[in-house]
Order: sequence, then C-alpha cells, then structure tokens
Amino acid sequence: MAQRSVPSPSGLSRSTSARRWMTVAAVAAAATLAACSAPGSGSGSVDTASAGEPAAVSTDLGTDPIELTLYDGAGLKAVDDALIAAFTTKYPNVTITTRFDPDDVQAQNAPRVLSSDNPPDIARIVALGDIVKNGQLTDLEPWAAAYGWDALPGGQLAMYTVDADGVRGSGAQYTVASGFVVTGLYYDKSVAATVGMTTPPATVDELEAALAKAKDAGVVPMIIGNQTGQGTFPIQMMINSYAGQQSVNDWVFNVADATIDTPEGVEAVTRVADWAAQGYFNSDANGTDSTTALGRFTQGEALFYPSGNWDASSLQDQMGDNVGFVLPPATTVGSSLAMSDPVSNFGIPAKSTNKDAAAVFLNFLTSPEARQVMVDFGFAPSGTGDAPTTPDGSLNAEIQAAFAGLVEADGQVQFVQNATSGINAIWLAQTQLLIEARTTPQDYLAAVQAAYQEQLGR
Amino acid sequence: MSTLDSTLAGEVTGGSWIARRARSGSRGPRLSRGLSGWLFVLPALSVYAAFVLRPLLSTIQYAFYDWNGITAATPVGLGNFQRVLTDPLLLSSVGHSFFLMIFYTILPVIGGLMVAALIQEIRLWGLGTVARTTLFLPQIIPGAAAAIAWVWMFSSNGAVNQVLSAVGLDGQTRAWLGDFNFALTSVGVIGTWLGLGFCTILLMAGIGKIDVSIYEAARLDGAGFFRTFTSVTLPGLRQEIGVCVTVTLIAALASFDIVFMSTQGGPGTSTMVPGVLIYQLGFTESRIGLASALAIVLTALILAVILPIQRFFREE
Repeated sequence: MAQRSVPSPSGLSRSTSARRWMTVAAVAAAATLAACSAPGSGSGSVDTASAGEPAAVSTDLGTDPIELTLYDGAGLKAVDDALIAAFTTKYPNVTITTRFDPDDVQAQNAPRVLSSDNPPDIARIVALGDIVKNGQLTDLEPWAAAYGWDALPGGQLAMYTVDADGVRGSGAQYTVASGFVVTGLYYDKSVAATVGMTTPPATVDELEAALAKAKDAGVVPMIIGNQTGQGTFPIQMMINSYAGQQSVNDWVFNVADATIDTPEGVEAVTRVADWAAQGYFNSDANGTDSTTALGRFTQGEALFYPSGNWDASSLQDQMGDNVGFVLPPATTVGSSLAMSDPVSNFGIPAKSTNKDAAAVFLNFLTSPEARQVMVDFGFAPSGTGDAPTTPDGSLNAEIQAAFAGLVEADGQVQFVQNATSGINAIWLAQTQLLIEARTTPQDYLAAVQAAYQEQLGR
Repeated sequence: MSTLDSTLAGEVTGGSWIARRARSGSRGPRLSRGLSGWLFVLPALSVYAAFVLRPLLSTIQYAFYDWNGITAATPVGLGNFQRVLTDPLLLSSVGHSFFLMIFYTILPVIGGLMVAALIQEIRLWGLGTVARTTLFLPQIIPGAAAAIAWVWMFSSNGAVNQVLSAVGLDGQTRAWLGDFNFALTSVGVIGTWLGLGFCTILLMAGIGKIDVSIYEAARLDGAGFFRTFTSVTLPGLRQEIGVCVTVTLIAALASFDIVFMSTQGGPGTSTMVPGVLIYQLGFTESRIGLASALAIVLTALILAVILPIQRFFREE
C-alpha cells in the first residue's frame, strides 16, 4: 500500500501489468476453488475408523528402550518432570521427552498438535468432548479392563468418559487425571482476628456475616482479579450450592437440554450481585488480574481470596501460618460442593505409536509414588489409597483434608468455564458486567445459556 | 574467486542483454519481452503466492463452510456472512475500531505534524536528534510488550494514578483498563503513544525532502512559523501524510496486539475489536468458517476505507 502512493514515471505500464496479473490471479483462484474439496477432508484429519485400539494390549514394558512424548501446559512443567522422574525410576528403559505450550494456548493448540505428523503419546486434553468427536483420542477400554480402572471412584471416572453422542460423564474412557485441583476460599488469619471472624464460614449466611464485618472494619471483604474472570468463582460457588452438583455437572458435560438458566441459578447470582452492590469486592476488580489480586491478598489487604490449590504453595511461602483454606460455604451445613477437576487430564492420541507404554504411564498416575508427587506439589491425588503425607499444620495438609472430605461426600463439581471451548469468554465478559451492575442476574444467565446453545449448535 | 568473477560477468552480460532488449523493445517481439519480465518476478512471486495468495484464497474458501479445523467441513453457503453482518457483538466491535481511529490515526498524524515542524525549527539548537530518538523509541518496542507496560501504568497503583494523585486529582484515579467508560480510550492512548513516533519520523523525512530555498523564500516574504507550516510544509508533505494515514488506519481497523494483551476485549465487551474476535472464534472456539468470514468482511471494510483515502492523497 505504502509504495503505491509514490508516483512513478512508469505508472501507466505498471497499472497495465497489474491488471494483467489480476486476471491471472483471478483465473488461478477460480481454478483452485473449483479443484479443491471441502476443508478437512484431506490428509490433515483423522479417520475415526483408524482411531481404534490394537487387538491385544500389553501391560508389560519389557526391557527394550522405549521413547515417549508428553504434551502439557508450561505451568505444569515442574509437576510433570517430577512425575516422569518417578516413572522412569520404576521403568528405567523408558525415556519421556516433554513438550509444552503456554497454559492458556495448550487447550486450543491440542487439536492441531494431535493431528500433526509427529503427535505426542501422552497429551493433556481439556476439550475432551470435542477431541473425542474429532476421532483424535484412543478409546482406553482394553487397558481399562487390563488395569481395572473401572474400580476408580465414580466421580473421577465421570471426568474421563464420553458417550457416543459426545456427552461427557458416561460411556467409554479416554483419559486418566494426574491429580485434581480443588477450589475454596483462602482467608487471612490476622485480618480475620481483626474483624472478629472466629471460625471460617461453613454456610453462606456465616460467609455474608464475615463479609459484612470486614466491610465495617474497612478491609476488602473478598479480593478478586476480575480482569481475568476470577469473579466467576464466587458465582459458581453459589450456583453449585443453589442448583446442585448434578445440574451443574450435566451442564458442563453437555447433557441434552441442560440449562444453567434456572430459578435457583438466578437466586444464586442475585446473591453475588448483592455482594458487589454492598462493596464486598475490591472496587477495581475489573481492572485487576488474578496475579495482582493474589499479591495484594498476601499483603493483608483482604479477608478472603477465592481460588484453588494451584495457589497454595505461593501463599504458604509468602504468608506462612497466616493463611487458612475452607471449602466453599454451602446453603446448609455439611453439604459442601467445590469446583474440582483434573490438573492434567491425560489421554493417548489416536495417532500415537506407543499406546501400550503410554497406558502404563496413565496407570502409574494412580500409584502411591505418583500420588505422593502430586500432593508434594499441592495438588490432590488421582485414584484411591492411603492419604499421601503432608507436613503437619501446613496449608497443604489443610487443603488435602478438605479434598479428602470432598471426595468422600462426592462433592466434586466441574468448572462452568469448561462447558464449551468458547464459553469462558462469555462468563468473563458477563461477570465483568454483573459486578458493575450493568446487567441483571436474569440477563446474565440468559446470555450465558444463549451462547452455550449457540456454540453447541442447539 | 574465479567462480564469483564469472558469475558477475554473466550477470553483467545478462544485464546488458536486457538493456539492449529494452532499448530495442518497441521493435522486438512483445511476447518474449513480457516473458523475460515474468521470469525475473518468478522467485518473489512464488513466495508471495505460497504465503500470501494461497492463505488468502483458503480463507475465502473456509468462509463458506462450517469447519472446526480437524474433521470434514460442511458447506453452509452464505450462512457465516449472514451471521457476521447481523451479530450485535460484531457490529459493536467494528464501531470500537472506528473510535480507535481517533487515537491511532488522527492524534498521531496531527501530533506528528506538529512535532516534525517543531523539530525542524529547533534543529539549530542541536536537540533534533534527541527529540527524534525519544519519539521513535516506542516504535521499536513490540505492541504486545508496550501493552504489558501500559497495563502496569494504568493499574490502580500504577504510574498514571500516581501522577494524578501527585497533582491533587485523587478523585480521578481508577483502574483505567477495568472501567467501562475509560477502557477503550485508555487502549487508544497506548495506540497514540506507539503511532506518534512513526508519523513523526516519516513526516520529518518528508520535510527534509522539501527544498530549503522555499523555506528561505517564505521567510524573506515575512512568513512566520504557522504561515510557513500551512503554505510550505503541509502541501509538501501530502504524500507522507497519505502514507501515515493509510498505515495507521489499517493499524486501527486491524488492531489486535494491544487489545489482546491489555484487556482481551473487556470489561464486558467494551474494548472488543474484530481482530480479537477473529482470534477467539478461530483458535479458542475452533470455528474456522465463521472466523474466516469475519476476516474477509474486515478486509473488505479496510479496503473500503483505505482506497478512497489513497486516491485523495495521490491526486495532485
């Protein structure tokens, strides 16, 4: 563009040849368009029929050298390296090389990485339903039978399975989790003492009382980084409580006719909208990202910080004994539900050439060694068994105890931001509108539900 | 060495052959003259075809399909375009782009003109180089990195609010990028900061091209700074201004990096621009067809805005 504005003596002949070239290009374009078939029907796609499993599976790794590739989000490098170290100590003939993408783009790159000519053998899968529908993952049923994965807790298996209609929560197994995240409320113990909160809140009423006390005392009751959508956490905590686990999980798993826009949902969102109106969130929430919010919480600026165990180690480092963790308060005593899903939901790509060995790694994730690794990193362990050890009185021990209670009560709920691959942007934008009272709880849920149906083609 | 020499010799011979052909062009067969021209263009053309034309054509093709990027696509005719042209979120994002033109185009071009004229005046004082370097500095910083720096400056306890507090404007402090009323303007300020240096340097180069004797004549006729500016500098910079306006308009309409790194389109959708929407549709939601249709509409829109402006600045 820039050069063409400079006049040249040969301007006339140039425009003539340009015109001639345009003709050539147009003809070529027409020919190309006519000749090529619909996108995705060529070599780039995976034929679902070829995504089947080998006739016989082997659980023995033998002694010959085996090379595997693992693909994950970059934030989990330290955890994955520790898991791999533990695995290769047990199976010295296996080498696992790793490949990472930044956490926020790993999910969207995964479909293309899985269909590449050089796919990983073990890959973290976020949009499980979509990727299974694409025929990009190996159905793990033969290995599940060989390793007895059907004995895993039902709440965990639900996160690994997809049925023939692409609905998650039941059907064939495609993944095994490395461990689990769990969400709740962190609280600053010295701020709690200052404002007069003697015990962490167990019910929503107790929580609201604590928020009001903090507000009166002039501290931020709950700090959120809503530029990156952290306000959706307290909202989902309330929705879980009001609408119930089944309803929310069905919605995230894309069960037919599932809706988030229910009277109970509206009641839950109204409660959080009231908190915002009362000034219970930091006034600059929409201009603060979650990292900044975390930093300000460690400085004693707020009473509560809604987040998950991925923040536990940095909070422990910076606040020591001054920080506590409690599961999201429920509407009634003793019915806690918390957002909790896989740290890395590992599957075996359909194009992997080392499926047996990859399955040995997936099975290893539920072993005592791997469970201890995950707990050491502050996450909750995969599978079942004796609780891994944690330092007494540490934040980590508190979180592990909370998680054990949650699993026992079968209270794991999926994150609503994962219901479709595009829904997070809607939750983010709508929550930013809600806490500034620029939308109503009714319109808020209606907008999310409309986008959900539109994105699922319903 | 000898190889190089012979190669050079060959090129020289080839060159003179071309020169001969060109001299006798009107008498030689037109076809072979045309062909040899194409031969020279071929290397560049093949790269251009592979990396610009082919993706462009693919985008046009994808726009007529419903495709997730992996499995077989289903043709949907004009469905994607219909959706693009009726979606309120999309229309508002185009509106935001036009608003950003104030900050990406109008302010940098006017500011660049002022600064370039001033630097021309103060050149004698030896401050020209300092001013030029300072102003051009933002231009060598990638937009994404600049956006991150500005996110800090616009945050609740960032530099912008510190300055406001220091001059007694405590009541005006806010988290600028998180404020529904000010977020888009704040994004625009980042764009102005980035674009000002580019326009200044380009316009200074243009001023350098204007014959000094015209300035002298103007001065002898008693023209002051502003009269010289409007009667000599401005008319002499017509083409440079055209380039500045064109490049910055494209930057405004196709903006992506600053918005993506600073607000992701938020709060709500108050800073959403088509570039970020295309990214979200194509890469996050895997709706390649819809993203392609939006990209084509955006390209058409940019052309519709740019072409008349090109014409205006080219006419003498």
